[in-house]
Amino acid sequence: MPVPLGKLIYLAGLRDYNTGMYHHDGLASRYSEEAACEALADCHRQAFRDLLSSSLEETVQQLESYMTGLGTNPGEFFSTWNSLKPYQVAVPAGTDPLLAEFLSSNLKVALAILESRFQAHMPAERFASPRP
Amino acid sequence: MLAPVLYIAVGLALLALLFLSLLRRTPGAEGSAQALLDARHAVRTLQTGLLPSELVERIFSKQDLKYVDSCGSKQIQHLFLAERKRIALSWVRRIYRQIVCLQDFHRGHSRHFARLNPAREIALALEFAALRLECRVLSLLLILRGPYGATRIAGRTAAYASRLCDVSENALSFLTPGGTAKVARDSAHDGAAT
Repeated sequence: MPVPLGKLIYLAGLRDYNTGMYHHDGLASRYSEEAACEALADCHRQAFRDLLSSSLEETVQQLESYMTGLGTNPGEFFSTWNSLKPYQVAVPAGTDPLLAEFLSSNLKVALAILESRFQAHMPAERFASPRP
Repeated sequence: MLAPVLYIAVGLALLALLFLSLLRRTPGAEGSAQALLDARHAVRTLQTGLLPSELVERIFSKQDLKYVDSCGSKQIQHLFLAERKRIALSWVRRIYRQIVCLQDFHRGHSRHFARLNPAREIALALEFAALRLECRVLSLLLILRGPYGATRIAGRTAAYASRLCDVSENALSFLTPGGTAKVARDSAHDGAAT
């Protein structure tokens, strides 16, 4: 079962940034384009609420679970998340700016905590992000 | 010598009053509709975005502070406190802005829609003023003492704002589908047709 953070990122990825509509071919063929879009938007909002109501400790756990699930190099992951901040564009449409800001702030701190933990426990050469 | 000065002072005061009365023009129908929409938006923002108890508890959660302290990194503690302070200040400022919007609505328009007697209007004005002052005090405490320096006042401010929000919602209830029926019923008692 994916954690709310994983759901949030996944569902945000199904959204067309130009139209704000969600697209999922499997669901659209089984139901209808509108019904699928509405259901995905509901799930997105729910994932956002779940993540926002998580404590900082739970957010760190979710971030760690999400990162290990991806199977990418931790150094690369931290570098990308610190620079691109993908969570900032993953909020559902119509979210109150303060709530979006709060989630972003929590994830920023969670990322710093997880990064410091990995830096302390992993050898430098394994942790380092790949150089071009 | 004193009399001319007095006359000039009275004249200036009258001019100032005239200027103020010109500034306070009666809002037209368009302005009234906009004020209603703004007030309705402020109520919704407060009720769904800023005042839910879960959000207030999350922003001022000491559980998060304990967790960060247990991590043992001064740098992360500093980052966490700075972030929470920023969010807490943003939260109070947003509440303040919405409350000002609701107060403007009550001052200018609510008497046309809600049946408020003068005593109730004065009491409401005082309550709005008190809440605005409390928001200012809370902002100052957050700046001086950090995000965990005024948690009780933050909870009280949220409860106070929530109560005034309910009062405003009642004044605006005629805008909701169920509310129009109530207005029609109330008007029928006065012999008016809606």
